[in-house]
Amino acid sequence: MDILQALANGFEVALQPVNLLLVFVGCLVGTLIGVLPGIGPISGVALLVPLTFALKLTPESAIILLAGIYYGAMYGGSTTSILLNIPGETSSVVTTLDGNQMARQGRAGAALAISAWGSFIAGTLSVLALMLLGPLLAQWAIRFGPAEYFALMVFGFSTLSALAGKNMAKALLATLFGLLLSTVGQDPQSGMSRFTFGLLQLEDGMDFLVVAIGLFAVSEVLMILQDKAPPAVQATVGRVYLSLKEFTFSLLTILRSSILGFVIGVLPGAGASIASFVAYTVEKRLLGSRARFGQGDIRGVAAPESANNAAAGGAMIPLLTLGLPGSGTTAIMLGALVSLGVTPGPQMFQQHPNVVWGLIASMYVGNAMLLLLNLPLVGLFVRLLAVPSWFLIPAVLAVSFIGVYAVNNNPFDLLLMTVFGLVGYVMRRLDFPLAPVLLGLVLGYLMEVNLRRAMAISNGDVGFLFSSPIAIVLWVLAGLSLFAPTLLSRFVKRGALGDDEI
Amino acid sequence: MSNPTHRTDRIVGVLLLLLSIAYGWTASRFEVGMLSDPVGPKPFPYLIAICTAVASLWLILRPDPDPQWPPVSFWLPLGLVLGSLVAYAYLLVPLGFIVVTTLEMALLAVLFGARWWQGLAAGLAFSLVVYFLFTAGLNVPLPAGKIWGLGR
Repeated sequence: MDILQALANGFEVALQPVNLLLVFVGCLVGTLIGVLPGIGPISGVALLVPLTFALKLTPESAIILLAGIYYGAMYGGSTTSILLNIPGETSSVVTTLDGNQMARQGRAGAALAISAWGSFIAGTLSVLALMLLGPLLAQWAIRFGPAEYFALMVFGFSTLSALAGKNMAKALLATLFGLLLSTVGQDPQSGMSRFTFGLLQLEDGMDFLVVAIGLFAVSEVLMILQDKAPPAVQATVGRVYLSLKEFTFSLLTILRSSILGFVIGVLPGAGASIASFVAYTVEKRLLGSRARFGQGDIRGVAAPESANNAAAGGAMIPLLTLGLPGSGTTAIMLGALVSLGVTPGPQMFQQHPNVVWGLIASMYVGNAMLLLLNLPLVGLFVRLLAVPSWFLIPAVLAVSFIGVYAVNNNPFDLLLMTVFGLVGYVMRRLDFPLAPVLLGLVLGYLMEVNLRRAMAISNGDVGFLFSSPIAIVLWVLAGLSLFAPTLLSRFVKRGALGDDEI
Repeated sequence: MSNPTHRTDRIVGVLLLLLSIAYGWTASRFEVGMLSDPVGPKPFPYLIAICTAVASLWLILRPDPDPQWPPVSFWLPLGLVLGSLVAYAYLLVPLGFIVVTTLEMALLAVLFGARWWQGLAAGLAFSLVVYFLFTAGLNVPLPAGKIWGLGR
């Protein structure tokens, strides 16, 4: 079979010593990022992109490293949720509910073990699904012309706006702000400068890394500065051990949550946080009185932890097959790939099979590696929390400076980073979601190019954008995703909507 | 709905509305020469400007309750951090990575509750390690400091 052959080639790439090392480093760094509060996966991935450029990594090695960090962070975020009741990432907030209860009852070891096994099973299942569905979707999408691509992006942005954040107007404004930023710099076709205010440094546009680090890392530091970092706490882990009974008891929950998480991960804008939340709620309802969710039920840990890892795998589908990232982290990966000369999209399966299949194979390897890494080393990771925040946070910031400076070797980018740090801080305060800004910035260029190509084909006839069946379907879906939540909320009570609509 | 506790979002909405107008107006003043494509560089910004205007009107009409703003005492550390970041950008090339990073880290460490000598020592140690790791190990050039006569 084709897929098996391709997968075999992928493993050849993934098992090269360099790439094995990078999977290991990625998983390790990702887990650290996940464990340490204050550095999210987005900042973590953004900080390491300059490193992949500096090391002159091949595109497949670079994406393998970045993906390792991504799912490593998903994995590591649970540890502090369980032990300290402090979620390392937003995607493990729900894990605190039952996880910390279990820790208080002296079952921290079991909670950590189930989150490791749940993540492993979910991660492996989602890679399987990615492998089977990815090529199919790519084959279908390869017929997309500029008009369909434009419609696809509109659809992507509208689901993103509908799903990211509580207030849709704010998510929409964040997306539009990103699109607006993407138009700064030289116009790709006529070569004229737009919105540069005469600044030479803006001619090439705003670099996505500078914006990402400012928006996420710097504003995170400002938030922590205000809330004062949580005190370093000593936690006891005990033996990380799971009985077979506990495992089989949770297996159905893990499987259901994996599927749910994967589907949610595929949707643009949803992603791991929503997946973990939905999986928890669904399990809670499904099991009803047979479970004691909130009082230390092991399935209350299994559900969100499986779902968030499955979502990380699901998010790779739109990224690899359509070139449409669904989250801030995947947007950075897209940007990094583009900088390395690989344009994600349906052609990628044919033009860069090494990148796609190398990544898929490395995700299998990474999942196994995380399990091996996490079970014995949890105690060590937790001890890192004893590093005082007065050292940790300035150190992270110092590394961000290098990342930002290395983009163009220009201190101007540091100013830009500071500006976006303030913008990000204000946006967080006002409950504006940040990831859409990044997606708008990364995709804005492609969106404009496709619009203009479509118009060039049709000689300026706007109707061309709505002329093919695929495009029409995408436009209808885009409209539905924007207006359905508002319309539904008139009929359904708000509270119920939050759980079911997503 | 016009409860005073919804003021912040309305102000933000108005500011974004003004931004969209300014943005659209700037786009309208682009002087386009020979067109290589029928669209040109203007319409996409127009599209963004219109959508932003509509979305900000929506925000003005349906604002969230006001967020909790940080206490006035937080403005000082916030200003210090932002100001020091600006200073960092301007001083990086003249003074070099090691000096400015040490100072920046020391300042942040103090704001996060360390004593000044702890911050300074940790900052210097970390800056040195990172500087040599990146320049010598990874071939990422970092400014050594012009005033020390070290080029770049």
